[in-house]
Amino acid sequence: MGRKRQLTVLVFVLALMAAACTSTDDTTTTAGGTGTTAATTTTAAPTTTEATAEDTSVRFLIAENFWADWDPYQHTAQSQNRIEAQIFDYLVDNPETDAPSVPMLATEWTQIDERTWEFKLREDVTFHDGSAFDAEDVKASIERSSGATDVETLQAGDWIVTNVEIIDPFTVRLVSEEPFAALFAQLRNTIIVSADDLANNAEAIKTQPNGTGPFRLVENDPTRKVMEANPDYWQGPAQIQSLTWEFIQDQDTRLSALLAGQADVIDRVPTQHLQVIDGSENLELNSVTGIESVNLWVAPGRLPIWDETPAFRQAMVTSIDRQGLVTGLVQGASAVATSFLPTTTQFHQEGAPAYTRDVDAAKALLAEAGVPDGGPEFELWVASGFLPRAEEVGAAIVANLEEVGFKPKLVVVDLSAMIDDIFSDDGTGAVYHLSWSSNGDPFNHAFVYSDTFAWYFGDERLQELIDLSGTTTDPAEREKVVQELQTHLWEQLWHVPLYNSDFTVANNTRLQGLDVRPNFETVFYPASITG
Amino acid sequence: MLKFTLRRTAQMAIVVFGVVTLVFFILRIASGDPAHLMNPPGQQEELVQLTREKLGTDRPIPVQYVEYLTGLTRGDLGKSFHGGQPVLDEVLKALPNTAMLAAVTILFSSTVALILGIGAALRPNGFFDRGVLVYVSVALATPSFWLAIVLVLFFSVRLGWLPAIDLEGPKSFVLPVITLSVALTPVLIRTIRHSFLETLGDHHVRAARARGIPERRVILVHGLKVAALPLVTLIGLQLGLILAGSYVVEFIFNWPGIGKLTLDAVAGRNFPMIQGGVLVAAVAFVIVNFFVDLTYAALDPRIRLAAK
Repeated sequence: MGRKRQLTVLVFVLALMAAACTSTDDTTTTAGGTGTTAATTTTAAPTTTEATAEDTSVRFLIAENFWADWDPYQHTAQSQNRIEAQIFDYLVDNPETDAPSVPMLATEWTQIDERTWEFKLREDVTFHDGSAFDAEDVKASIERSSGATDVETLQAGDWIVTNVEIIDPFTVRLVSEEPFAALFAQLRNTIIVSADDLANNAEAIKTQPNGTGPFRLVENDPTRKVMEANPDYWQGPAQIQSLTWEFIQDQDTRLSALLAGQADVIDRVPTQHLQVIDGSENLELNSVTGIESVNLWVAPGRLPIWDETPAFRQAMVTSIDRQGLVTGLVQGASAVATSFLPTTTQFHQEGAPAYTRDVDAAKALLAEAGVPDGGPEFELWVASGFLPRAEEVGAAIVANLEEVGFKPKLVVVDLSAMIDDIFSDDGTGAVYHLSWSSNGDPFNHAFVYSDTFAWYFGDERLQELIDLSGTTTDPAEREKVVQELQTHLWEQLWHVPLYNSDFTVANNTRLQGLDVRPNFETVFYPASITG
Repeated sequence: MLKFTLRRTAQMAIVVFGVVTLVFFILRIASGDPAHLMNPPGQQEELVQLTREKLGTDRPIPVQYVEYLTGLTRGDLGKSFHGGQPVLDEVLKALPNTAMLAAVTILFSSTVALILGIGAALRPNGFFDRGVLVYVSVALATPSFWLAIVLVLFFSVRLGWLPAIDLEGPKSFVLPVITLSVALTPVLIRTIRHSFLETLGDHHVRAARARGIPERRVILVHGLKVAALPLVTLIGLQLGLILAGSYVVEFIFNWPGIGKLTLDAVAGRNFPMIQGGVLVAAVAFVIVNFFVDLTYAALDPRIRLAAK
């Protein structure tokens, strides 16, 4: 082949590449935002180019998949709770998780006795299907959620059974079977659903939710939910006309999309991305310390010396450089745990001693526990791809423990395998790196240490204090109970408190007023779009 | 030919049945319990059981299997564990996107491989040949996930020329297709180069030249027709690589195809969706190979004779 022909081939290849890269006038398929049904037909999401043209659409890439359908009260998934908050309303809202509730669908409330509260309801509120909201909807929702009906619900576990008496179409009385101190926190977890839907459209609302919230669902893909503004919202229509929430597993893909302008908001920003986003002109970070306790959870019975010897437990806590984990690894707004209730929980108090790392003290405690050689070998499990930098955190903890003499073996698995090991009768793990989050109510957060869960060591006083924290309605009395509960947990150390998680969201600065909450909610109403 | 077709169809059915069965049982025996994943760690067993009942995973595995097979005969692949969407709808929505990606990749990489392979074979050990061999070595050593990220950072984030993620139109194909092609072309190029070198020395090519047929026609007609045979086989075989590679590429580029659908489902132990994704991939793979066999038989009379 002569030079001329070689040149021709080269030009052809270059032309092919250039053609691929050349700008085209293709019509972009948009992701809904105009329909009112749950039709799922398209593949592409709205791009920022479109968003800029319309100036009203927002795309939010989330790190956690949607685990559930829209069947009310039949899930405990955080991602589902978060998106429900865009579509549904609650009787009350808790913008500050450690402060009193504020009105939402209820305008005012009065305590009648220790089991009864009366709520005045907002008038002129309609569901997305146009039907009017009234006391019947509150009765149906609260009774279904709290387990007062024949329908078993997953969320009933967080409630004390509560019946609703209708005084008039816009006044109700909530009557709990026992005094329920966490009532208001639980009300903020309980979406108000139409009574008619619960009675007659049970199947339909599993795929087409019908709330009173600022957005309504128009596309219901398994990993992608597209919402449009509810024009009849009682607080006025949202400025964001189209809101897309989409699960994208890979953190680098989420970042690329944000940097390339194909997403407006991403959540769970990992430490290694903070600097990149901070250095970008059009992006900003929004961080809070989450109501999430990251602990080393010890499975009862798997490491007998743990169950029986307080000094062994104290030795382990004293061995770990918890401050180092926070400043060196997880970073962001994460904070060393100073209690088993996170800092943004109501009635939080710092425990004493601080359990800072002290190798000599830890060795002395091991000797006191009767195992100066460090005791038996045990497996410490971490789940890769779950908590931020879990593998590095696990490795750092193991190094700390080994220095003192403990004999941990690090096991890195995926979350599913870890969960299976916890529940399995022949599970081999003893210590698990996991988290627990809540809505900020002390009872709700401490509930995980109760006999309802697999992490309970038979500590009767602890169970008593948890129960009391849920039933003591007098605020001053409750504060005392919660403080005693924290002191007890801190002294007993059934698990190893590590840190309270960071929750960091990054967004394009065109989006203003995004409400990032410690309970991992990201509220898009009444956020606005500028530019 | 009819006998050949029937025999291959029966083989295909057995392969697909085997894959479906294997995936079904592996998921339930070796994988995690999806109900546990959908509840907080340590949740009491009664509540976890409620979730199992809702998902249908509380029943014995053989019962689930029979129900699954019965559903398959009706074209029902079940419903997603997360959201309750019919799996068939989701799979059918994703399939064209993966098929388009695969088709464009095959077209692009075949074209590139033909040009580079033939070009290299025409002047062995020449400058162009050596350049092509360098490309082959580098491409073979380049991991797809790394290349994809680098391409995105350069063309999407830095230059802003191309979309970083999604399927938005023709421009969206560029980066995924290049990523897949870089993995695919080395083997194609080497095969074509080798095949062409052999073919150019064959009697029929020498005879064509002796008859005074123009060189271009000798290469493109007499040489290419024979040299293309292994290319057809190879593309069929490489389809598996494209499907497997597209899982990584779809994941990184958020491409709404079967690969992303399946990987998202794997992360959440969404059994029906995983089964649907694998079923479609298996069916696509055996069908394409079936057509490759038919094409091969049509191109090479010896295959037809052997089949008889």
